[in-house]
Amino acid sequence: MNCSDYREAIQDLADGTLGPVRRAALQLHLDHCDACRALADDMQKIRAAAESLDDVRPPDHVWMQIAGRLRQEGRVTATVQPRARHMAVLAMAAALVLAVGASLYLLFPGRDTSAPGGAASTVAGDPASGDPAGGGNAAPVDPVQSVGEEFRLAEQHLQAGIAKLQEAAKADPNAIDPQTAATLQKNLAIIDQAIAESREALSTEPQSALARESLFDALRQKVTLLQNTIALMNEMRKGNSAAAAQLVDPGNKS
Amino acid sequence: MMPSKVTVHPSAVDRSPDLALVERCRRGDLAAFEELYRTYSGRLYSLALRMVGNPADAEDLLQEIFLSAHRKLEGFRGEAALGTWLYRLATNHCLDYLRSRAARAGQVTDTLDEEPMLTDTGSRRIAEQTVAKMDLERAVAQLPEGARAAFVLHDVQGLEHREVADVLGIAEGTSKSQVHKARLRLRAILSGS
Repeated sequence: MNCSDYREAIQDLADGTLGPVRRAALQLHLDHCDACRALADDMQKIRAAAESLDDVRPPDHVWMQIAGRLRQEGRVTATVQPRARHMAVLAMAAALVLAVGASLYLLFPGRDTSAPGGAASTVAGDPASGDPAGGGNAAPVDPVQSVGEEFRLAEQHLQAGIAKLQEAAKADPNAIDPQTAATLQKNLAIIDQAIAESREALSTEPQSALARESLFDALRQKVTLLQNTIALMNEMRKGNSAAAAQLVDPGNKS
Repeated sequence: MMPSKVTVHPSAVDRSPDLALVERCRRGDLAAFEELYRTYSGRLYSLALRMVGNPADAEDLLQEIFLSAHRKLEGFRGEAALGTWLYRLATNHCLDYLRSRAARAGQVTDTLDEEPMLTDTGSRRIAEQTVAKMDLERAVAQLPEGARAAFVLHDVQGLEHREVADVLGIAEGTSKSQVHKARLRLRAILSGS
């Protein structure tokens, strides 16, 4: 028998389906044939590596798009208590804007990020909007504050944070290589489209909790992307390309 | 016929958790569908990514798969585990996509092009003791579509050849041949031959 006669046995060996009799015959051949022994070893290495590959987590915006489509098509309904959800969104918005401030401080440690109208000051309390959180002298707010007003404030917080992040990202456009920048721009465009669609849905149904939730989902995604962009710029400046690559592609486990 | 890596509940066990989740999804409960998505999206995205070879197309496919699943949940009766049912749906979407892409490009997807240089002993051996996952991921992306599908289903996802043959609509022998040729191509890539 020549080497080609053992081809199927080598494949079955890699598959784990080679019976004992054929295995013994193959082993006799492998003991005397370096080329077939190397082939059998490599086939088994490839099989073992393939079996050990991990699942890759999809980007967050995929779920956002799926949920948006299901809502648009009227195939899902709200399942949460609207009031609780609204308060959770407000808290989320505040937490995110605080994180925005931290990002800005890391990027521009010498710059005052709590300037009037900026993210941090907005969180601390915005007298113009009647937010009582940080304005100790502000007039007390009606406890039966309308849900619509809560969302208007929450969106205002997020938009302020997004504006600051966009400004920071534009401050040094050359910090990111063109290919990465193009990827980020593409993702930003997808999120902006989701925001536009959510706004349109909200304008049609201003009292829809789902439409509001969808809009905040999209805004939250935008904040996250912008934060990652700034973190990426930081890593690129520090010359840490591995950390930068991880930010661009979290599924990349190099 | 249940692929080993995607069978969430063995056939003998109670499928009531699957059915309860599906029932909530059928009623339009978005939180239930998100739970389903969080449970299975990683596995299905990995399948799509490796089958089609690039993240953008895999993301589009994942979206299509879950939207399609939401529509078809009405017909889910629990004969198979929910994971298996979703996996089959996802595989069919991936294959439809590959056929469509091949038709546009005028390619044939069910065979690996014959390569005179690609022989059992024509490549150098792989130098390392083990194959790095990232190297293998990159190499798999370079495989022709038909061989890649067979390899991903068999070696990565753990289907048997008869299952691969069933899913791809090819003979079992063809599955074995495709997987073997895929491994030879991977060996050539990984050894730098």
